[in-house]
Amino acid sequence: MNNNVLRVDVLPRIGSGLIDSRAISTKKILPKEIEINVKEIRTSLGYTIQGDLAKEERENAAKDLFSDPIIEHYSLDGSIAAGILPDLGHSDITIQVGFKPGVTDNRAMAAEDGLRTLFPEKKMNVASTISYHFWFEENIPDTEPIIALLHNPMLEQCAILDSDKRMENLIPFPILPAQKKRESETVDLEVDDDELLEISERGLLALNLQEMKAIQSHYRDPAVRRTREELGLPPHAPTDAELECLAQTWSEHCSHKIFAAKIHHRDTETGESSTIDSLFKTHIMKPTLDIQKEVDWLLSIFHDNSGVIAWNENWSLCMKAETHNSPSALDPFGGAMTGIVGVNRDILGTGLGARPIANTDVFCFGPPDYSGNIPKGLFHPSRVFRGVHAGVRAGGNESGIPTVNGAIIFDERYLGKPLVYCGTVGIMPRTLPDGRESHDKTPTPGDIVYMVGGRVGFDGIHGATFSSLELTEESPSSAVQIGDPITQKKMLDMIIEARDEGLIQVITDNGAGGLSSSVGEMAELTGGADLDLAVVPLKQTGLSPWEILVSESQERMTVGVKPEDCESFELLAALHEVEATAVGKFTDSGAFVVRMGTDVVAHLPISFLHDGCPQLELESEWTPPIHAELILPELSQMGEVLSRLIARPNIASKEWWVRSYDHEVIAQSVIKPFCGANHDAPGDAAVIAPIQGQTQGAVISNGIIPRYSDIDAYAMTAASIDEALRNAVCVGVDLDLIAGLDNFCWPDPIESEKTPDGRYKLAQLVRANRALDEVCRAYKLPCISGKDSMKNDAKLHGEKISIPPTILFSLIGNHSDVRKAVSSDFKTPGDRIYLCGESHQELGASELAYMLRDETQGQSGIGARVPEIDTTRNLAMYRALTEAMQKSLVASAHDCSDGGLAVALSECCFGSDSGAQIDISAIMSDCDQIEPWGAMFGESLGRILVSVKAENKEAFENSMIGHACYSLGVVEEGDTISVTNGDIPLISTSMSTLRKAWKETLDGGGPQ
Amino acid sequence: MTKTRVAVLSGFGINCETETMAAFEMAGGNPQKVHVNKLVKGDLNLDNYHIMAVPGGFSFGDHLGSGRLLGNRLRFGLRDQVRRFVRAGKPVIGICNGFQVLVKMGLLPGDEEVTLTQTASLALNDSAHYENRWATLEFDSKSPCIWTKGLTRIRVPVRHGEGKFVTKDRELLDRWAQTGQLVAKYVDPSTEYPGATDQVLPYPISPNQSWRNIAGVCDPTGLVFGLMPHPEAYHSTWLSPDWTREGDIEHGRAPSITIFRNAVEYSLQCRKET
Repeated sequence: MNNNVLRVDVLPRIGSGLIDSRAISTKKILPKEIEINVKEIRTSLGYTIQGDLAKEERENAAKDLFSDPIIEHYSLDGSIAAGILPDLGHSDITIQVGFKPGVTDNRAMAAEDGLRTLFPEKKMNVASTISYHFWFEENIPDTEPIIALLHNPMLEQCAILDSDKRMENLIPFPILPAQKKRESETVDLEVDDDELLEISERGLLALNLQEMKAIQSHYRDPAVRRTREELGLPPHAPTDAELECLAQTWSEHCSHKIFAAKIHHRDTETGESSTIDSLFKTHIMKPTLDIQKEVDWLLSIFHDNSGVIAWNENWSLCMKAETHNSPSALDPFGGAMTGIVGVNRDILGTGLGARPIANTDVFCFGPPDYSGNIPKGLFHPSRVFRGVHAGVRAGGNESGIPTVNGAIIFDERYLGKPLVYCGTVGIMPRTLPDGRESHDKTPTPGDIVYMVGGRVGFDGIHGATFSSLELTEESPSSAVQIGDPITQKKMLDMIIEARDEGLIQVITDNGAGGLSSSVGEMAELTGGADLDLAVVPLKQTGLSPWEILVSESQERMTVGVKPEDCESFELLAALHEVEATAVGKFTDSGAFVVRMGTDVVAHLPISFLHDGCPQLELESEWTPPIHAELILPELSQMGEVLSRLIARPNIASKEWWVRSYDHEVIAQSVIKPFCGANHDAPGDAAVIAPIQGQTQGAVISNGIIPRYSDIDAYAMTAASIDEALRNAVCVGVDLDLIAGLDNFCWPDPIESEKTPDGRYKLAQLVRANRALDEVCRAYKLPCISGKDSMKNDAKLHGEKISIPPTILFSLIGNHSDVRKAVSSDFKTPGDRIYLCGESHQELGASELAYMLRDETQGQSGIGARVPEIDTTRNLAMYRALTEAMQKSLVASAHDCSDGGLAVALSECCFGSDSGAQIDISAIMSDCDQIEPWGAMFGESLGRILVSVKAENKEAFENSMIGHACYSLGVVEEGDTISVTNGDIPLISTSMSTLRKAWKETLDGGGPQ
Repeated sequence: MTKTRVAVLSGFGINCETETMAAFEMAGGNPQKVHVNKLVKGDLNLDNYHIMAVPGGFSFGDHLGSGRLLGNRLRFGLRDQVRRFVRAGKPVIGICNGFQVLVKMGLLPGDEEVTLTQTASLALNDSAHYENRWATLEFDSKSPCIWTKGLTRIRVPVRHGEGKFVTKDRELLDRWAQTGQLVAKYVDPSTEYPGATDQVLPYPISPNQSWRNIAGVCDPTGLVFGLMPHPEAYHSTWLSPDWTREGDIEHGRAPSITIFRNAVEYSLQCRKET
């Protein structure tokens, strides 16, 4: 062992009321996931320290910093890490896990900070480890599956310690091998087409031939060559930094090429043949701009990190959702954590800086109980689930931002790429103390460019281009990173103070593409920027200029500050212990100039950088798919069917998982994720009252229903929007101030050898966009932010797994008085139950259809009649119901979605901890062709299950005249949920039995 | 008389300063956000405040044990200021992470001499993970705690992963019980008041399986108080998890504001008397 390496290891004491609960939860997972039983497990945390500390100082550090004198043992010689425990002696085997060199190690950074408090004069580096100590009943089993479960070889290393030499085999201090200083290089593009593509592929640039040729021809321009010669740059060819910068800026991830493409669309059913010049401009931007002409609250759309709406005279709100799918597939914990802290930075980088106040998390995973083969290189969906959940939990909770709403969807096609949607809502004052409107950025040439927050390292190189490619075994580990929420939280506190002091002229986050994107994008505002990579603070030495330029190392913002404000800005950063470095300045030179000290390494004209990417031309062809009809069971089976359906992972309670997110920090949550007598019934939308003590609220909701794309992505999109709005209506949203976010996750829709069905997938995209256009216009629901992730395919050992086309539609709206907000739980026995909205025989692609398909091994089909939307009818009903809520006539309101009326009714009863009795004959006689299965389990849109106090019956019914509103029955005392169709009994079942089934599926268990 | 100035600490991952300030303001105080480094560097001095609050959060990401690193910053960087503040008889509150800080730095349960010696700790919940749920607290009516005077029971959210109150020496618990320092306990809301018990209640009535159901403690003087749950997060009636079931309630400030008002009024009273 290196003399300068010190070890401190810490073990929880056990016995007399103390337990090692971390060990116990590991012990629970082993038999479940890898079928290994152990007699005893203990866990210890370790710290490897590089630095000089005398023996007494080490003792003090162990006592005052690393261990807790009341509940922990410690060792200073590595013995605990090696499995020689003060209470139990030698383990049978110990597995020690530590990070690989260069990976973010938050615990170690906290330890370094703690050591500085104790020994301000000394410079010390720390690495953290964790040791799992095992004792087995009999022989030691094969340890490979245990090791595979306990660490991720992409980011972590491990040591197996079981012999006499266990002390010698401890993980050494992780040190990156010394890197040679690397210079900027030139890339010769005067080559043939194959070679051009080869350059793109080898460099993970994700540029196609047309784009490579556009770059090639730029460097053939005599004017360009003259300028380059004057600057001392290679005149005929790009530098690596230039090529990388273009690849980042032009990546699908950053520039949304498919949404900007020219699409030739054919519909074999209708005979339509048309051309769409940019889906984004036609179907997303245009409707929102048209709505903007009619309202005065759309403050900032389409040009910032998130869209901004005026919430009242003093405050504006903004919202953004992002996906972090590819990183989460490779490292669920780190990928998801950087997803959430990354979208927080989008909010912080909106306008002159908004404060994040609420997160939303929507995940799509493979089934948690999946028992089929998992292609090598992928994790089992339950591990992905656990890791993603832990990452979002750490990212959100440690940042002090509540997770207020979300969803978890399961489908086998998410095995290859899970979808991890992270959303954040922000708030900012409409005007700053210095009179500027906070949603507008105000940079001028001459402003100094600051990089604030974390440092730049090898981590996160090529995240943007990598996510624009399909996932393969060769996907690089550098594209994954672990977030550091505390560094970010310190930065956030500092940025908000700097904003209020008027020190910020322009701000954006360093996400995809790193400095190349953040400075490159803001340079467009002033017409140029000059960046010096030599002064950028680095985590490690040895990065070449292009790596510093494109690294996506986390927790960084780029800020423009007036020269006269720089001193105040730096003092504020020092107070908060945040690193802020002047790395360049904004100019009006017309070019983005990057230097390494005095050498220019990149010179890119702003116009070429942002407008030089050639438009794609794509082919789209729609032929509707054909599915077999459902084979429905006997009516007498309905109760049984309900109890199986309600336990399906898509419908089952997610409470165990959601409770470990903080949903109440900032003290603003009015309608929480759970409601009801026992706080365990699912809420619909979230309602928050962001200004402490005041009663104006904001509503946040989500809609997602990927199943419907199996029949028609138009229906999928329409249903997602309606679900988000319906949820918001359930809590009493102000329908005159609602805005939406469209987040598309698609399988690659470009026809190619790899994707022979590209035309169909693109047609699905076209149809989804048309739905978005039509429904948002009808609901006056402008899309203020959006994002697309268009390569959600995984190819592993020849097997291609593509996700179903998936849209997450998120909504943010106003609530004029949170004291009038309505929750989903039935309130009191005797309350009247109504179904608002029309029901049709729409079982196509319903949760019931998939359950029957699974149970019959595919004999029962998913059907054809997917729910259709009637926006006029729905909106009229939503308005009437909202008015009834304002008159306090509505006791509860719950959205009918997955599992239809049957599931909605059950969930409302879970909330009241009671039964209910309903008769559906009113629905049956009103709607054409409907049958009991359709009435109970169909997922027709625009339906809300409502309860009303008996004394308000008449007033409520009057307020709903002219809209579909069926009186179904009453909330009952006792435990029985009973459903009839006139005299014919359909369901009679115990609420508490149903609730047990609903809770069990995804329950992680209580304390030991 | 000037309003009661409350130093609400901030920085390094503290994240409940907004609602803690709101609660003090609703209670009649004059809260000010004070970055810990402003005290360490001498830009501000604790002597100029009447109350100190250490809010909840995730200071330093809870690494190396929740509250440990911030506790050390206060214990080593602000030792004299903090001791002077406490010995001057000024109220201090630590909530959630702030409570962990006060326990780890030895201010709670504390001793007469304010030696800053750690005697208790907050271990990982028996469930081994962070949880956000509501619990009911019962307060010891015989406690010297000035913060909880007049309160019997309140409902509050708990939001933590390390909240199991433990000690090394069980006899200390008896002593603290006698002196009224075990001031707040989780209680089964279906029991009649007083219903607090030392027998550990089932999960999730006791969300963390704390010894003797301890949710909060005070120092021997009753001026320094800390608790795991978040009374500041229930400052208004519409923030409870089931207010929509309560019929036509009179909306406004929620009962847990009393905690903050008690301290603000105590401070005013002290200044009137001197």
